[in-house]
Amino acid sequence: MGALERRAIAAGEIDAVIDYGSANVIVFPAARRALRDTAKRASAAERKATLETPERNAILAALPRAEYRRLLPALEQVMLESGDVLCEAGAPIRHVYFPVDCVVCLLTKIDSQQTVATGLVGYEGMVGLPLALGVRASSVRAVVQVAGTALRIPATRFSNEFQRGLQLQNQLYRYAQVKLDLARQTAACIASHRIEQRLACWLLMFDDRAMSQEILLTQEQLANDLNVRRESVTATSVVLCSRGLIGHSRGRISILDRKGLETVSCDCYRPIEIAEAARRFR
Amino acid sequence: MTRRKGTASPERLTTVVVLRLYVAGGAPNSMQAIANLEAICAEYLKDGHRLEVVDILDNPRRAMAEGVLVTPSLTKLSPLPAAQVVGNLSDKKRVLQALGLKPHGK
Repeated sequence: MGALERRAIAAGEIDAVIDYGSANVIVFPAARRALRDTAKRASAAERKATLETPERNAILAALPRAEYRRLLPALEQVMLESGDVLCEAGAPIRHVYFPVDCVVCLLTKIDSQQTVATGLVGYEGMVGLPLALGVRASSVRAVVQVAGTALRIPATRFSNEFQRGLQLQNQLYRYAQVKLDLARQTAACIASHRIEQRLACWLLMFDDRAMSQEILLTQEQLANDLNVRRESVTATSVVLCSRGLIGHSRGRISILDRKGLETVSCDCYRPIEIAEAARRFR
Repeated sequence: MTRRKGTASPERLTTVVVLRLYVAGGAPNSMQAIANLEAICAEYLKDGHRLEVVDILDNPRRAMAEGVLVTPSLTKLSPLPAAQVVGNLSDKKRVLQALGLKPHGK
């Protein structure tokens, strides 16, 4: 190495030297740190790019580009684990969540011990709907049942954007109506239908929202959702399994025969409107 | 702008200066070298130059074939004589000297 190179190294102007023996590039520590930071920034930019394409949540996807861009700086991508509580019944809503590939169950309190599921939210919807209707506290407990990604936005920011965004308002009023209908139907279902029908209906709704072939749900979770004894869920699962409608092993349920399950389910099952979803996804 | 008589004006250079700059990805000195060199080229060479930036992280053997030891490292390939400058090219005088150019206003 000549005097020129040595002087430049001493002045801290060199990033790397080439080792001719091994044909390797030896990057100096400061440069290595900077390259690592650049790589991190690039992956952050990539993450931002996924936010740029909101088509994975139907409500965000249906927004006009300008409205979505206004929301974008406040949207944060989060990984949610099964069992995460997004909001408690009666507590103020801190964030609004737009699920991408997770499924969130809305549980209504019956007494201090028991709850029953009265809603399910996946990529087609949003958790934190009361905010859109001017109510700051949640009436349900929202628990993640299928782990996955969601985009979230702080409640105050959401409220501000909601005031400004006409299309967002339209979307959410329509969504609120769908949710209300579903909650009414669920109430009727709980009061009237056998567990076999309810379980089939619940599994179909899960299947519509979960992105994977298999649904990760324990019988305990199902019993809690439907507010029935665990033994009843086990017995019913065995029947559905024996008829070849579902597969069940180690907390994973897979739907083997959708059509068959639909015939078992009560009429309370409401598919996510395919035409509606398609229109939203444009 | 005043020019000294008898000095070849860089604006009137007809020969194209061919340069190759070896860098190590987006490392700080390498980025600075690119910026410094681009500024010098814009000021002194305008369209009369060709610059190739080679990333040694992608292509170490190419750098070795041309005897490069460290990055950033600038080589003037043409017109002859060939010349080399190492470092982040913040010393403008040294770069101009290597390129066979005279600083403006001197």
